[in-house]
Amino acid sequence: MSWIPFKIGQPKKQIVPKTVERDFEREYGKLQQLEEQTRRLQKDMKKSTDADLGRWLSTCTTGWAAMSKSAMKISLDLLSNPLCEQDQDLLNMVTALDTAMKRLDAFNQEKVNQIQKTVIEPLKKFGSVFPSLNMAVKRREQALQDYRRLQAKVEKYEEKEKTGPVLAKLHQAREELRPVREDFEAKNRQLLEEMPRFYGSRLDYFQPSFESLIRAQVVYYSEMHKIFGDLTQQLDQPGHSDEQRERENEAKLSELRALSIVADD
Amino acid sequence: MAKHGADEPSSRSGSPDGEDRASEDRSLLHQRLAVQELIDTEVSYLHMLHLCASDIRSRLQQLPQGDLDVLFSNIDDIIKVNSRFLHDLQETASKKEEQVQLVGNLFLEFQEELEQVYKIYCASYDQALLLVEMYRKEPELQQHIQGIIKAVVPQAGSSGLSFLLVIPLQRITRYPLLLQKILENTLPDASAYPVLQRAVSALQDVNTNINEYKMRKEVASKYTKVEQLTLRERLARINTHTLSKKTTRLSQLLKQEAGLIPRTEDKEFDDLEERFQWVSLCVTELKNNMAAYLDNLQAFLCFRPHEFNLDIAEGPAVQYCNLARDLQLEAFLKFKQRLEGLVWQPLCSLAKALLGPQNLIKKRLDKLLDFERVEEKLLEVGSVTYEEQAARHTYQALNSLLVAELPQFNQLAMQWLGQILRTFVTLQRDLAKQVLQRAEGSMAQLPHHHVPEPAFRKLVEDTLGRTSNQLHSFQETFEKVLPPPTTQPLLPGSERQVQALLSRYGPGKLYQVTNNISGTGTLDLTLPRGQIVALLQNKDTKGNSGRWLVDTGRHRGYVPAGKLQLYHVVPSAEELRRQAGLNEEPRCLTPEPVRAPVPSIPTVNQVIAAYPFEARSSHEVSLQAGQPVTVLEAQDKKGNPEWSLVEVNGRRGYVPSGFLARVPSPVLWGWNLPS
Repeated sequence: MSWIPFKIGQPKKQIVPKTVERDFEREYGKLQQLEEQTRRLQKDMKKSTDADLGRWLSTCTTGWAAMSKSAMKISLDLLSNPLCEQDQDLLNMVTALDTAMKRLDAFNQEKVNQIQKTVIEPLKKFGSVFPSLNMAVKRREQALQDYRRLQAKVEKYEEKEKTGPVLAKLHQAREELRPVREDFEAKNRQLLEEMPRFYGSRLDYFQPSFESLIRAQVVYYSEMHKIFGDLTQQLDQPGHSDEQRERENEAKLSELRALSIVADD
Repeated sequence: MAKHGADEPSSRSGSPDGEDRASEDRSLLHQRLAVQELIDTEVSYLHMLHLCASDIRSRLQQLPQGDLDVLFSNIDDIIKVNSRFLHDLQETASKKEEQVQLVGNLFLEFQEELEQVYKIYCASYDQALLLVEMYRKEPELQQHIQGIIKAVVPQAGSSGLSFLLVIPLQRITRYPLLLQKILENTLPDASAYPVLQRAVSALQDVNTNINEYKMRKEVASKYTKVEQLTLRERLARINTHTLSKKTTRLSQLLKQEAGLIPRTEDKEFDDLEERFQWVSLCVTELKNNMAAYLDNLQAFLCFRPHEFNLDIAEGPAVQYCNLARDLQLEAFLKFKQRLEGLVWQPLCSLAKALLGPQNLIKKRLDKLLDFERVEEKLLEVGSVTYEEQAARHTYQALNSLLVAELPQFNQLAMQWLGQILRTFVTLQRDLAKQVLQRAEGSMAQLPHHHVPEPAFRKLVEDTLGRTSNQLHSFQETFEKVLPPPTTQPLLPGSERQVQALLSRYGPGKLYQVTNNISGTGTLDLTLPRGQIVALLQNKDTKGNSGRWLVDTGRHRGYVPAGKLQLYHVVPSAEELRRQAGLNEEPRCLTPEPVRAPVPSIPTVNQVIAAYPFEARSSHEVSLQAGQPVTVLEAQDKKGNPEWSLVEVNGRRGYVPSGFLARVPSPVLWGWNLPS
């Protein structure tokens, strides 16, 4: 909704003091931005936790759940390969990996649920106030229009020659104007009071959500660290640097290439 | 090279003993000569090798290093091995009696090394020859090479390089022959005999193995290449020869499928192949899954919460934004890079390595079919063509190559796979550690960091409940920004109309039009904003409650209910009174109301048409305002009281009941509402 004051093509009669209008504009502008940001943030948060449980192979799912699922597939496929039946060592390793992935996925689910409850829903709730706010602003706008129209009418009669019928019409116009002006002023005042309060409320409102978000990460990653730490102890030789690993990979590749049946390229 | 010695002294002794001994002596002499030949030739061989490797090679500087590597291959290794061999050989010279046995043992000792080192040289010899041919075609280069060789090894003659390069091949094939000669001249009961026998067969084995190795290498390099041929190139390759080959293979396969001919069962190979297929599957699946995982990681990295500005300057929100940014830019990025380098790349290389063996296995099957057919022919006919023989050999070479190397391949592949998986696990742990460190750092700055998790969750729940209520109250507030509807100004001149409606219907039934109404149907009214109307029915004849029947004072008709608003009469009553007060004078000036003295017409409850009505169908009848009608039925055929059957002007038809009025007071023709 764009708030374009004073653009109705009539001579700029500033019946509402400029300062009042400016204040309103500023408050409303800030709120609009906030609404936009909140909406985007909410959408993004939702995307990052949206667990698309049914369709693995889809590359549309993003975020933690998708990663967790694809990690689980790695171990699952390995486990189902016939080689595991023949090779005990391989079977042990792959089983351990599979167990780790499954446990991690469970923790991920928990994290997703927690975030759903403490971040996404509150965000949504905050966002749901905006329609009402916008309606209220629209009504104020309407009232302003009416106010200006009637004000113009009054001024028109005031400028005319003061004959009997003119006086009667002028009186009538003034009578019409009064309630409308009062209505507008009431609406304006109310909004100018409430909007900043609402805007300010977000400070307190969002803090618990973000605290919760950080804590959820701590919980999840400490579990992940423990799980994979144990697994590393079980499987790997810890302490190899990246360069060492690269060299190991190179060595294996050379060994393979040394075979005649492997094509050189 | 030392040649055979002088003529042997012929023995003319007649006695058998003497003859035996003479022949023994002869054999011994020949044996010693043969051994000497071995040693002498070894010396000159080694000398020649040195000349090639050092003098000639160093002078062929203008050839690229790659070429030199192909030409001279592993000649340095050969020199090393043969130097040691010669040294040990020369040492045996002092051992006199045992020399022959020692020589035999020496060969057995060196068998493995010789095989290892010569097979490489022999396998690359063909390529070296190709290079030599190439050089021969360039006269200048050729001259230069010839010049060098002539200076160093004059006896090389015009064959030049090829003469020199073939020498190691000649040597290794010569060993069995030299040993054979020694063996021939050894007495069967000598202790050296069995050793020599073993040595001979050992060196023969070495040569066989070297040949086999060479053939395998050739076959492998021929078939491992996965050629990227265009369709046109593929088509160009098809000729009668290839077609006949393929059809023959196909028919062979079909015959096997049909059970007409036995299939060559090779359990060993089948098991190997099966295992290879599983390994392939493992690698391919892992690669695909890893690709999906990386894609998801990439998508996850696109989500950037820290780029949103909620305009919150401090507190947990800021903490979170900083944390998220750190994680994106550092922890996760590093994880992704390590993953790509240490897991993804190796997987790709491993997957590529699968292609060679896969191709060879396919080729082997083709060649197997050829082989079987040739075997059949052999059985039937007894002989085969040269080509068929070659096909047999190709199959055998492929088969033995695969049988020899597939187990190794499988094992290496699985080892590597295991390595890759372990690395994956370690990378996950490292990522977790990185994130945890940072997240714990952020958490330490949170207001409730000291609160244990369960208690914190309760706290958040409570807080959110409270703030939710707060939000709710905001929402209500905003919805209430709508004070009670203000009274709209009356249209000029409408006060009396309003008064009339008021007295007729009562205050609760008056509505004001909030927006201009333009009627579309014949029964719909067109009214300006502000007009006051009275409600007759809050639904139309079809029961639609969005369309109301109203009375404007002059007309009746339907209007959309949404554009009506209950009209509060109270202030306007004051208004009216004031207005009335203003207008009183003019009214007094008007003459007597038009109401003439009422003639004594009996008061009857006559039903008249209060409003004009246009009949829209033959079932309806038109009315004029004020027309008296006779009501025949106060409802229609379906019992709907909205319509009445009336007779007017001699015609019958249905009219809306609301358009009729019962008039108890004296009837005047052309009665109208006071305007």
